[in-house]
Amino acid sequence: MRDPSEWPLGRRSFFRIVGGAGAAGVAAGCSPKPAIQRIVPYLVPPDDVVPGKPTFYRTACRECGAGCGVTARTREGRAVKLEGNPEDPVGRGALCARGQAAIQALYHPERFKGPLRRAGGGPAAPVSWEEAEADLAKAIVAAAAKGPGRVRMLTAPEPGTAGAVQRALLAAAGARPQDRVVLDLLDPGPLRAAGAALLGRAELPIVDLTEARSVVALGADFLETWGSPVELARQLADGRTRAGERTRLTWVGPRLSLTGVSADRWLRARSGGEADVVLGLLRVAADPAVETGRSKEARALWPRLSAISTADLASRAGVPWGEVERLGRELVLRRPSAVLAPGPQSQGADATRLAALALVLNSVLGNLGRTLRYGQGGDEDAPSSMAEVRALLDDCARGEVDVLLVHGVDPAGLLPVALGAPAALAKVPLLASFARRPDATTPLARLVLPDHHPLESFGDVAPRAGVLNLLQPVMTPLADTRQAIQVLAEVGAQLPTPAKLASTDPYDLVMTRAGERVASLRAPGAGLPADPAAELRAAREHGGLWAPPPAAVAPALRIEAAGRFLAPGAPRAAEGGGALDLVAFPTALRGDGRADLPWLREVPDTLSSVSWTAWLELSPATAQRLGVATGELATVTTAAGHADVPVYVFPGIRDDAVALPLGAEAAALLPATLDPVSGALAFAGVRATVARAGKRARLPLLEGSPYQHGRNVVPVVTRAEPSPPRPDLSARMYPEPAHPEHRWAMAIDLDRCTGCEACVVACFAENNVPVMGPEAAEQGRYMGWIRMERYLGDEPGGALDVRLLPMLCQHCTNAPCEPVCPVYATYHTPEGLNAQIYNRCVGTRYCSNNCPYKVRTFNWRDAQFERPLDMQLNPDVTVRSRGVMEKCTFCVQRIRFAEGRARDEQRPVRDGEIVPACAQSCPAQAITFGDANDPASRVSQVARDRRAFRALEDLGTLPAITYLARVREEEPS
Amino acid sequence: MSNAATFRSIEDTVRAAHGPPGPLYWLALAVSGGVFAFGAWAYSLVVRTGLHWTGLERPGMWGNLITDFVFWVGIAHSGTLISAILFLFRARFRTAVYRVAEMMTVFAVMTAGLYPILHLGRPWLAHWLLPYPNQRELWINFRSPLIWDVFAISTYLIVSTVFLLVGVAPDAAALRDRATGWRRGLYRLLAFGWRGTDEQWRHYTRAYLFFAAFATPLVVSVHSVVSWDFAVSVTPGWHSTLFPPYFVAGAILSGVAMVITILVPLRRAFRLEDLITARHLDMLARLVIFTGLIVTYSYATELVLAAGEPASDPERSTFLYRMTGPYAPVFWTMVTFNCGGPLLLLVRKVRTTTWSLLLICLAINVGMWLERFNIVVTSLAHDRLPFDWRVYVPTWVEWAMTFGAFGWFFFLFLVGLKLLPPVSIAELKEDAAGHGAHGPDGPAEGSHA
Repeated sequence: MRDPSEWPLGRRSFFRIVGGAGAAGVAAGCSPKPAIQRIVPYLVPPDDVVPGKPTFYRTACRECGAGCGVTARTREGRAVKLEGNPEDPVGRGALCARGQAAIQALYHPERFKGPLRRAGGGPAAPVSWEEAEADLAKAIVAAAAKGPGRVRMLTAPEPGTAGAVQRALLAAAGARPQDRVVLDLLDPGPLRAAGAALLGRAELPIVDLTEARSVVALGADFLETWGSPVELARQLADGRTRAGERTRLTWVGPRLSLTGVSADRWLRARSGGEADVVLGLLRVAADPAVETGRSKEARALWPRLSAISTADLASRAGVPWGEVERLGRELVLRRPSAVLAPGPQSQGADATRLAALALVLNSVLGNLGRTLRYGQGGDEDAPSSMAEVRALLDDCARGEVDVLLVHGVDPAGLLPVALGAPAALAKVPLLASFARRPDATTPLARLVLPDHHPLESFGDVAPRAGVLNLLQPVMTPLADTRQAIQVLAEVGAQLPTPAKLASTDPYDLVMTRAGERVASLRAPGAGLPADPAAELRAAREHGGLWAPPPAAVAPALRIEAAGRFLAPGAPRAAEGGGALDLVAFPTALRGDGRADLPWLREVPDTLSSVSWTAWLELSPATAQRLGVATGELATVTTAAGHADVPVYVFPGIRDDAVALPLGAEAAALLPATLDPVSGALAFAGVRATVARAGKRARLPLLEGSPYQHGRNVVPVVTRAEPSPPRPDLSARMYPEPAHPEHRWAMAIDLDRCTGCEACVVACFAENNVPVMGPEAAEQGRYMGWIRMERYLGDEPGGALDVRLLPMLCQHCTNAPCEPVCPVYATYHTPEGLNAQIYNRCVGTRYCSNNCPYKVRTFNWRDAQFERPLDMQLNPDVTVRSRGVMEKCTFCVQRIRFAEGRARDEQRPVRDGEIVPACAQSCPAQAITFGDANDPASRVSQVARDRRAFRALEDLGTLPAITYLARVREEEPS
Repeated sequence: MSNAATFRSIEDTVRAAHGPPGPLYWLALAVSGGVFAFGAWAYSLVVRTGLHWTGLERPGMWGNLITDFVFWVGIAHSGTLISAILFLFRARFRTAVYRVAEMMTVFAVMTAGLYPILHLGRPWLAHWLLPYPNQRELWINFRSPLIWDVFAISTYLIVSTVFLLVGVAPDAAALRDRATGWRRGLYRLLAFGWRGTDEQWRHYTRAYLFFAAFATPLVVSVHSVVSWDFAVSVTPGWHSTLFPPYFVAGAILSGVAMVITILVPLRRAFRLEDLITARHLDMLARLVIFTGLIVTYSYATELVLAAGEPASDPERSTFLYRMTGPYAPVFWTMVTFNCGGPLLLLVRKVRTTTWSLLLICLAINVGMWLERFNIVVTSLAHDRLPFDWRVYVPTWVEWAMTFGAFGWFFFLFLVGLKLLPPVSIAELKEDAAGHGAHGPDGPAEGSHA
C-alpha cells in the first residue's frame, strides 16, 4: 500500500472535489423553480388591518330562509371563518353546517370571473358589465313592447331589499306581479294554503318550541332543514334539559330522519298516512271521554270526528291505534305542544289536508299563538307554488317569454326532470342568469351576470318581526362580479320609464330601506331614534336591528272550513306502477339537494354515514327480498323516470318504503305531481319499483359496524337508572400527569346533540382539515377531526336503537398514543392537551393503532386546496403535509389567543372565554369547554352531572371529554 | 457420508460451488433482481406522492409492510439459533448447515430492517429515530417499543454480521490460499490475516464461544422486543403477555423452515449432498416439529383465554372475528399450515422424503407470513369502537413491496453464495478429523485451516 501522501488526491484537488460536490448538493437541494414570483408588502398598511390580528364583521347567512346572523372572522383582508352572531336572536351565535360552508361558495374555484355573453350557439365570451347591462336593458325594452308577460323572473326568496329591487325593475318593465316567480323547493307551501283556508292568514307561523311540552313532527325535519333549524334545535334542547319535565318529541313518518333520531318515539306511519295520524290525534283530543274541559273547536268538531272509525284510521296510517291514542292523550296532557307538518317527507298530493289537520289539531290543543305564532312573520317573500313555476316553464316552452331573469336558483338542475325545465328554458331568447358559478341553467343563459357572494354584498334579511339582520361585505370582491341588485338597478335606470329606485348603489339601497325601518324596530314607546344614522351604523356593527316582537295573535279557527278536511283520506289505491313508497328527504348537509360545496360533500351524512353520493335506503327485509346489499347499485323506477343509486340498508325505514336524499337522482324520479289546493310539489305519494342493477358501486361509507355488539359504548339513562355504569378506576399503578395551572376539558351533552354535523364542518373550517375527495372517501380515508359515531342498535337484526356519539380526540390524561411515539411527536402538555407536533412526526402511525378512540387521521397524501379555496385557510393553524398524523387540538390556537389576551390584560383566563370551533357552532349548545381544574367552571359543573360517562372509560385513559348520556323516557303506560 | 469426506474433498466441493455460475444461477439472479427492482419502483411511488398507494386506512394503520417486517425478523432467528445455541449445546449436526443459516440471518435482518423505514410517513426522516445529539435538543422516546425495535434490530444486525464474519475467517483463509484475482483480495480481507497458527486457533475458539454466548440471548430478546410492538399496546388482539415466547417460537419455526427451504435446492444445485446430509435435514425437521408444537400451544392458549371472556369483550370479539370474519381464510390457512405441517413431519417417512419436507416447509413459510398478517391486520380491523371497523386489503403496491423484499433477499443470498463458503470448511474438517476416518491429506495442500 502506498503512502497516503502519494495518493493522486492532493490538498488542492481535495478541496476542488469537496467544493464541487457541495455546490452540486446545494443546487440539488434547492427548489428547481427559480424564485421570480414577486411579493409585495403593504407599503402603507391599512389602518384596520394588523397582520396576525383577526377583524370581525357582522353579516347574515343567506343559505336558507332562517336568516341567522353571522360573524365573519377576517385575517389580512380575507374571510377565513363564519360563526354565528351571538347577539342575533335567531341563531344566538350558532351556525349550521350549510351556513359554515357558505364561505366555500365565496372561494369556490369555479366562480365566474366576470360577466359572460353567449352569441348564437357559441361559447360564452367575456363581456364588459356596461355592454351586458345595455344588452339586457335593450332586450327588456324590446320584450316589454310586445306586452305584459314577456319579461319574467325566477328567483330564490329575497325578502329584503333585493326583492324590492327585483319588483321595482319588473314594474318598470311593465311586468305584472305574477311575472316574478319565487322558487323555494323546501317551502312548506301547503301550511300557508291551510292557514289561508282555516285561519284567513296565508302565512307561515313562527314556530317557538320554548314552551312546548310535547312536539310532534310529521315529516317536518325541523332539526335539519324545516323552518329555522338552528333556532328550533336550541329551543328543543333547552326544553329537554328543563328542570322538572322534559320536552317530548315524536317523529311520524315512514323513515327515521335525523329529527326522528332525536325524537323519544317514532310512529312508523306509512308514507301518506301522516294525515290519518293527525286525524286520529284530533279524534282523541276532541273526545269528551279524554278531555272534559274541551275547547269550543273540539266540541264543534266532535260529532264529525266521532263518526270516524279508529280501526280504519289506524290501518290507513299504518300505525296501531294504541300508539296514536297514547300520543293523543299525551298531547292533551302536555300543553302547549306543537304539531309540525308538512315537510318534504310527508308532502304528498294531499299536503294541504295534512297541513290543515295539523292546524286544526294545534288549534284544538290551544297551540296557536303560543308555539305556532301568527302575526310575527317578517318580510316574507312568499315562494310561489310549483304550479306557478310550472306555468312559467310552460310559457317559456311556448315561446311566450322573451327575457327570463334567473336569480339564486338553478331550475334546470334542481327541479324534477319531469317538469322539463331545461327544454323550456332553452326556448327563451334571452335568459340572464345571476349565478355565481356554473350550474345546469347557465349553459342555457345568453347572459351570465355573476352576483357577488353574500359575504361581498350589502343586504338585509328579516326572518320575522322584530329582527332585521344586515348583510355587509366582509372583504373586497374576488373577481369582476357585481351585486345583482346593482345590476338590476342599473338596468332599471336605462329603461324608458326608469325603475323607481333611489339609487343604483347597493349600500344606499339597503341603508335607505333599513333607515325606513329603524322606527318600527324599536321597543314600543321608544319613539324615533335621535340619530338614525348612528343607529344604523351601530346596527351594522352589531349585525342587525332587533326589537321584541309584537304580540302573537291567536287566529280563530274557521270551524266550517275545517269540516272538509276531516273526512278520512281516500282508501289506498290499488297497486299501480310499483311496490314501494318513495320518500325523498332533504338532509342537514345536502339541503334541497344542491350540496356542491366540498365540505358538505366530504362530511358523511349522520344517519347513513355516506359522503359524496346519493344513496338509497332500504329496510333489511326489503333489501333481502330484492337481493341487494349495502354498496350494490339498485335501479329505482317511477312513473317519471329511473335512476341507479347505491343501496344503503337502513333499519330505520318501513318495509314498504324506499328513501333517497333530494338531489339529481330524486329529481329524475319525482313526477310533476302537485297538491291541487296549494300547488306544492308532491314529494311523497310516489310509487317506485326497485330492482338490482347487478353492479357494485364503491360507496363512500364511513361506518364499519353500525351495531354496538354488546359493548354499550354509548349508554343511555332512564328514570330507573339515572346514571350510566362507571368503572372503578381507583387502583392506580403510576402517578397521573400533573396539570398545575389549567386542565382543559370538554363536556358533550348527548341529550342536546342532534347529530346535525355543524361542529364537524366548523372544525374543517377552523383547522384547515383537508377535503380528500370521493376516491379517498371510498377507502374510508376521512380526515375530519370529529366524526359522528352512529349506532343503530346492539346486534344485527336486533331492535332499532339509534345512538349518537360525536367522537373527537379525548385528550386523555393517560393517553395511549403518547408513550408509543418514538420521537415525542405527540405528548401531554402541562395544560392537559394531547399535543401533536407535525414537524416532529415521522409517520409511524403507531399512535393511531394504540388510540382506542381512533380519532387520529393520517395524511396519506398532500392535501389539495385548489385556488382560491386556499384563501380560506386559517393562518393560525398549520397546513399539514403528507406523512404526518393529525387530530383534534381542542382548537389550541384559540386557547393560546385567549391566554395571550388574558396575560396582556393581566388577569386570569375567564371561564367561557375559550370556545373551540365545534362548541361555538353547536346549535343545540351541547358542547361545553373550560378548565377542569376550576371546580366552579361550567365544564366542571356539567361533568359532575349524574348522566356523565366517559368513552371506553374502563381502559383507564381518563379522557378530558365527559359525555352526558341521552335520556330515554319510558313510555307512559 | 461425512465419514467419506476428506479435507481435500471438502475444500473441492466448496470451491466448486464458487465456480463460474451456470445459466440457472444467472436466471435466478435476474429473476430475483427484477422482482427487487419492481418492488423498489413501487416503493418510489410511495416516496413520491405518499402512502395513499397502500390499502391502509383508519383503524388499520399497519398492514403488509409491518407483516413483512415481523416475518423477516422471524426468518432471521434460526441462523443465530443454529449457529450459536446449537454450538453451545454441542449439537454437531449444525456444522453442515449453520453457514447458510447465518447468511440467511444477516440478509433477513437486512431485509427486515428496511420495512420500519419503508412504512414511515416521512421515511427521509428515519434518522430521527436514532438518539443523536443535536442542537434542537430533541431526544427520542425510550418508552416507545419502536425505539426498542431500533436498538434490537441494529444490535442483531451487528452481532449476526460479526458472528458470520468470525466464522468465515478460517474458511476464507483456506480459500484465499488457492484463489486468484479479485477473489484472492476479497478472501484476504475476510481472513483477517488468518494463518492457522495454534495461537490463532486458541483465540479463535475462545472468541467464537464468546460470540455464541453473546448472540444467544439475542435469539430470545430480539423477537421478544418485536412482540412488544404489539403486546404493550391497548389494542385487543395485541395486548397479551403471551406474545414474547409465542413470537420467539414462531420466529424459530419460520426460520428453520426457511433454512430447509433454502438448503434443499441448494445442496442439489451446488452438489453439497455429501456435506449437508439427509441426517442434517432430519435434525432440522425435528426442530420444526418442536417449535411447531409450541406455536400450536400458543394459538390454543390465546383462543381459550379469549373464549372465557364475556360476550361483549373486545378481545373475545377479535378472536371470533379472526375465525369467522372476512379474514377467516387467512386464519384457517395459518392454522392448517403451522399446526398441521409440523405434525405431519412426525411421520419419519414424510420427514425424510425431500420433496414432502420441502413442501411442508414452504407451507410453513406461507403460514407464518399469514400468522403475522393475522396478528397485525385483524386486530386493528376490529378494535374497540365497532363504528370504525374496516377490512384492510393490501394494494398491488404493497404486494410489490412484499415480493420485492423476497427479490432483495434472494439476490443478496445468491451473490453471497458465490462469495462466501456455503458450508463451514473448518468445522467440517474438524468433524472429519474428529471422526478419525481420514487425516489431513498431506502437507502439500498446506491449508490446514
